[in-house]
Amino acid sequence: MSEVFALSPYQPYPDCFDELVDSDGNARPQALPIARFISQKGEEELVRRQQQLDATIQSMGVSFTVYSDSQNIDRSWPLDVVPRTISSTEWKRTSDGLKQRLQALNLFINDLYNDQRILKDKIVPAELILHSKNFLAPCQGMTPAHGAWAHICGTDLVRDQDGQFYVLEDNLRVPSGVSYMLENRTVMKRVFPELFAESTIYPVDDYPHQLWKTLASLSPRQDITPVVVVLTPGIYNSAYFEHSYLAQQMGCYLAENSDLYVDNDKVYLRTLRGPRQVDVIYRRVDDIFIDPEVFRKDSVLGIKGLVRAWKAGNVAIANAPGSGVADDKVVYAFVPKIIEYYLSEKPLIDNVPTYLCMDDKEREYVLANLDKLVVKPANESGGYGILIGPRATDEERAKCAEAVKANPRNFIAQPTLNLSTAPTLCDGVLEPRHLDLRPFILQGAELYCTTGGLSRVALRRGSLVVNSSQGGGSKDTWIINDEG
Amino acid sequence: MLARVAENVYWMGRYLERIDDTARLINATTHMLIDSHKDTRFSWPVLINVLGEDNRRFISEGGSSERTVMHYLIAAEDSPASIRFSCTQVRANARCVREVIPRDIWEEVNSLNQFMQAECTQASSRRKRYNLMVEVVRRCQMVIGVMDGTMLRDDAYRLFNIGRHLERADMTTRIMDVLILQQLTPAMGHQGRREIQWNAVLNALGGVESYQRYYAREEGDSDVIDFLLTYKAFPRSIVYCLDKMQNEAKLLPRADSLLQTIEKLRKELDSEPLTQLSTHDLHSLIDDLQAGLIDIHTALISDSLHTPTR
Repeated sequence: MSEVFALSPYQPYPDCFDELVDSDGNARPQALPIARFISQKGEEELVRRQQQLDATIQSMGVSFTVYSDSQNIDRSWPLDVVPRTISSTEWKRTSDGLKQRLQALNLFINDLYNDQRILKDKIVPAELILHSKNFLAPCQGMTPAHGAWAHICGTDLVRDQDGQFYVLEDNLRVPSGVSYMLENRTVMKRVFPELFAESTIYPVDDYPHQLWKTLASLSPRQDITPVVVVLTPGIYNSAYFEHSYLAQQMGCYLAENSDLYVDNDKVYLRTLRGPRQVDVIYRRVDDIFIDPEVFRKDSVLGIKGLVRAWKAGNVAIANAPGSGVADDKVVYAFVPKIIEYYLSEKPLIDNVPTYLCMDDKEREYVLANLDKLVVKPANESGGYGILIGPRATDEERAKCAEAVKANPRNFIAQPTLNLSTAPTLCDGVLEPRHLDLRPFILQGAELYCTTGGLSRVALRRGSLVVNSSQGGGSKDTWIINDEG
Repeated sequence: MLARVAENVYWMGRYLERIDDTARLINATTHMLIDSHKDTRFSWPVLINVLGEDNRRFISEGGSSERTVMHYLIAAEDSPASIRFSCTQVRANARCVREVIPRDIWEEVNSLNQFMQAECTQASSRRKRYNLMVEVVRRCQMVIGVMDGTMLRDDAYRLFNIGRHLERADMTTRIMDVLILQQLTPAMGHQGRREIQWNAVLNALGGVESYQRYYAREEGDSDVIDFLLTYKAFPRSIVYCLDKMQNEAKLLPRADSLLQTIEKLRKELDSEPLTQLSTHDLHSLIDDLQAGLIDIHTALISDSLHTPTR
C-alpha cells in the first residue's frame, strides 16, 4: 500500500488540516479512490459531473428556504461534487464520543428538572441555569421515557490545525440538516456510480428507520404500533423540505398546529376519517410556542393543553419541552465536567477552548483580545450575531465589547480556529474551502449516531461561515472502511 | 390522511388533468386550423373561450392573434388559463402533500414544473409548440403512470382520481360547447356521421380511433355526441368520468351527498334523447352538465372534506 497520489495542481493551505490530502499534497488513504478518479479524468470531468449533480438536485426538488428571499421560497440545495472522506476507525471513536456526550446531556437535563444535584454540588453554577430563559419551570418534576429529553441532537464538529475533532456546539432544540445528508448521498450515488462500486463506503440511509424506532420507543402505548406525527410550522418554514421529507420517509403524518387538539389530556389528530389519538410528536417548532396555556400566553401558535397531556404521560414530545436548557453556549463550556460528573468518564471528544464572559477574569481577557477571538451570543443559531475578531472592523469590535459588558452572561469567546479544508470545485478549479461536520445522534430506548453527518462548506474563499443561509454549501460525507 | 391536506390532493389531480387537456386541445385546434378553409369562422380566441368566463376580458382587450392567444394559454404567468400557471399550482399542491405521495411522484411533478417554467417561452413557432405540447402531455402521463405503479390505494389516491375525472369531464363539456357555439353545427355526412370539425374534438380528446371502433360496433345508430357523453368504455366520456368518480367516492368517508350529486347527474344524462338534439338544445344540455359538475365539486369540498370538529 505505498500508492502515492498527489492531487496536483490542488494546493492545500499550509496552516490548515486538509481532509483529503496530507501536508505534502498526497491523498490520504481513505481518499485514494477519489484522488485516482480526479487524476485520471481531470477537472473537466468534475465540472461535467457537477452539472449533472446540479440538474439531479433540481429535478429531485431538494431545496431550502431563505427568509430574506421573498421571490423564491425554494432554492436549490448547494452540493459540491467532491466528497469528504473519513476513515471508519476514526469515525467509530468519534461516534462513541458523540453518544457519550448526548447520554451525559440527557442525565444533566433530567437532573436539572428534578433533584438538581449538579447545582447543589456546585459543578455548574445554579444562577446560570435558574436564570436562563431556556430553563422552563413548568417542566420540573418530569422524567420522560428512558430519562431522555433531547432525543435528536445535531452536534457540530470542527477540526483544528492538528486534525483533531472538537465539538463546537450541541443543537438540542430542533436541529436540522439530516435530510440533506440523506439526499446528498442519493444524488452522489446517481452521479458517481463507479466510485461506489470501487470502495467500501458505509451507507447512511437507515437514519429514517432509526429515527422512527427512537420515536416509537417513547410511545406511552407500547402495546400498539404508535401514531407518530412530525409537527411543522408549515410550508413557509425554512426547514419545511426536511419536515415533509422525514414524514414521507418514516411514513408518518406531517401535521401543523391546527391539525392537532387536546381533549381530556389526550392529543388527537384531525384526519379525514375522524380523530386519531397521537402517541408521539416529533416537534419541529420551538418549545415555547407549542402550548399557549403554558409558555407564551400571548402566542396564537401552539396546541392548547399539549403540555398537560405530556405531563399526564399520554403523549411523548421529541425533543421534550425544556431540552433547550442544555443548548446554550455557556452551558456548553461545562459539558466536559458534566460528562465526568454523571458518567465518571473522560470526554472522548474535547470542546473548543471557551472563555465565559460572565467570569470577570475571562471577560477581561476576552475584551483585551477581541482581535484574536470569535465572540458568540449564547442563544443564537444559524451563525447570526457572531463576531469573528480577526476579520472584524474596529467599529464592529467596539460594538461587540459594549454588548459583552452590558450582558456578560450572554456571551462566550473562543480562539479563531483554522478549520480544516477540503478540495472544492470553485469556477472549474479545485480550491481548499473550510468545512465543519454535523452528525445526528438519537436517544430513546437506545443510542444511535449517524454514519458521518452533514458536511457544510464555506464557499467563499477563506470564509469560516458554513451556514446555508449565509452562502454555505455542502459535501457528501463518506465513511470509508479501513478495517479490512 | 389529514383532513387539511385532502383538498391539496384533489387539486393536484385537477390541475394535472387541466395541463394535459389544455396541451391536447392546443395541438388539436392548431391541426384543425391548418386544415380548414380560409373563410372558416373559427378563430384563435375560441380557445380562450373554452377555458372559461374569466378569460373573456382578454378577448375584449383585443388579443386575438395566434401568438397572443397561445402566449395566454401556455406561458403567461398571470393567466389562470395558462399551462404554466397550472404547473405552478400542481407543484404547490404536491409540496403540501409530499408525505402522502411516493417520492418518485414528487420528482415527476417537480420536473414537469421545471420543464414548463424553462421551456414555455419556446412556443413561438407552430412546430416548436407542437413538440412542446406533446412533451407536456407525455410528462403528465408519466406522473399518472408512476402514481398508478407505486401509490397506495388509499383516500389520497381516491381524491386525486376524483379531481382528475371531474376536471376531465368539465374539459370535455367545454370543448364540445365552444365548437358548437362557433356554429360548427355537426353536419350529417354519409350514414348519419357527424364530420369535419368534430374530428378536432375527437382529436383533442385523443379519441379519433376509439370513435372509429365505437362507430363500427354500434352500426351507425349513434353519433359523436352520444359517444362523448355516454359511451362508458371511452375514458374521456362524461359517463365514464362520473362512474369513475362514483367508484372512488364509495370508498370515502362522509360521501353520501357526493354520491347523490353524481347519481343525479348520471340520471339526467340517461333521460336525455341525445341523437336528434338541435344546436340550441345541445348547448343547454351542456350548461346543465357543467352546473352538475360544479355541484359535485361543492358536495365534495363542503361535505366530504369538511373537517368535523371533535
